[in-house]
Amino acid sequence: MSEKIFKEAIEAILKGDTDKATDVAKRGLDEGLNPIELMDKGFIQGINQVGDLFETGRLFLPQLVYSAMAMEKATEIINAAIPEEKALVTGKVVVGTVEGDVHDIGKTIVVSLFKANGFEVLDIGRDVPVERFIDQAEKFGAHIIGSSTLLTTTMAMQKQLEQELKKAGLREKYKTIVGGAPVTQRWADRIGADAYAQDAGDGVKKVKLLLTA
Amino acid sequence: MGKILTRMGDGSRVEMTAAEIQQDLEAAAQDAAERANVPSLTDDEIKYLLDLYKCKDRVVGVEEGKECCLTYDNMTSKIKRAHIPISKIQQLLLFERGLGADTLELAHIDYSFKQCKHVVQYEKPNMEQAVLQTIAPIFYGSMPNLGLYSVPDGPVANPGDMLPLGKIEESKEAFEQMAEYAIKDMVYVGSELYEKAGADGINFDTTAAAGDAEFYAALKAAEILHDKYPDMGIEMGMSGEFILGLHSEIEYNGVRLAGLYPQDQVKLAEQAGVTIFGPAINIGTNESLPWNLARSIVFTKACSEAAEIPIHANLGMGVGGVPLTLTPPLDALSRASKAHVELCRLDGL
Repeated sequence: MSEKIFKEAIEAILKGDTDKATDVAKRGLDEGLNPIELMDKGFIQGINQVGDLFETGRLFLPQLVYSAMAMEKATEIINAAIPEEKALVTGKVVVGTVEGDVHDIGKTIVVSLFKANGFEVLDIGRDVPVERFIDQAEKFGAHIIGSSTLLTTTMAMQKQLEQELKKAGLREKYKTIVGGAPVTQRWADRIGADAYAQDAGDGVKKVKLLLTA
Repeated sequence: MGKILTRMGDGSRVEMTAAEIQQDLEAAAQDAAERANVPSLTDDEIKYLLDLYKCKDRVVGVEEGKECCLTYDNMTSKIKRAHIPISKIQQLLLFERGLGADTLELAHIDYSFKQCKHVVQYEKPNMEQAVLQTIAPIFYGSMPNLGLYSVPDGPVANPGDMLPLGKIEESKEAFEQMAEYAIKDMVYVGSELYEKAGADGINFDTTAAAGDAEFYAALKAAEILHDKYPDMGIEMGMSGEFILGLHSEIEYNGVRLAGLYPQDQVKLAEQAGVTIFGPAINIGTNESLPWNLARSIVFTKACSEAAEIPIHANLGMGVGGVPLTLTPPLDALSRASKAHVELCRLDGL
């Protein structure tokens, strides 16, 4: 029986079907399945497949958004059934494109995939000044600050973010992750960011690592 | 044999054993083949690439008889970007007479068709003068850059704001509106430079950076220009190995554009009237250059074999197995160029 439910959960996420994901989550819990097992063997398997399909050009952004919405609903139902101390650690992430840069396609993909993977995400948009990254992270209670830049000319804002966090005495409070077309691991190391993500899929892996570090 | 000095995709130096390089070559080729559903590299091709990295020459070149055309994008900003005071026409002359370029490209520093529209009357005299002073074919080049047609840069609501809110249909409509604006601008700029200033052709550079709707816009603009001017040269350079499905359902001639790999992209480009196609395979900065090069070769070779028009692959900062550095290292650039030309039977770079 549980195998059938897990399969249905995977299908619901792959199809981005929020109603079905809601139904499967409720039914699984009603039938006495362990909520964490239902998440791990069902919904998370589904979202991992969604990520792989997106990365290879076999599933596209609108479908990814639907899958993220379905995953969000399933996570909400299952988390409510788990004792607070055992609730799934998801993490809060603030994401934005740095000041001077209005490119936000990559950032939009990152936000969708992060949400799909159960992270609480605050998308603060594009052309975001450093002060706003910090202010929003404080208000949101973020664990991680993610900044994106497409331009070599605006990469310096990621460095400035690191410096301003230090000046404000907040650097140790947050993990930082950087991404964008011209950004590399070397750049992340040079400015002192905690992680570099090559693409949205890599970002999910790195954020999970940062949250458990 | 000791370790072989090569690089990572971010340009940093790394030493690898021959076995490690071979492993990277094979893994990357297999990965690319599975993604694009095309053949992987043969054992001989893997050996060819391995020998290329074992070779200690700082610079390598193609065998005699395998030379190809050298074409460049955004040519009239490249020398100026090095802080050398020089006019656009002087840059074209330098590329043609000093650097051996086989095609030339006049471009505006703000390299997007939307921005070029506003300065087209200033660009036309430049093109007229350039045509009179040079021999090689001259393109006018720019990027479709669909993002400029949405808020905050343009009139259409930004799909990037709507998608996270789940407004999928609204975001699709926005992409379609943006495409229509872009088509008008590309056709206008192309017509003015070709018909009234004597350009030999137009280059749609970094096409589909904003996904499938942008690819559609460029194809449609190429089709309109080709119908208007059947002899016009139309080059289309791409921006990534597959078309990002940001709209996801948009089609050209009944073919869904999202997810197309280069061997399928080029067939649609041919139908639209494109005369030179440039696949672009982005680099993975966390992987070695052998890994990146093998991957790029698999995609580009499949494209070249499918094509009936000349293929000029993109090789440069962060594409085609060349590291993501502001100035491409010569050891990496020459190896990537030689391998692409010889294994993919390219017509140009």
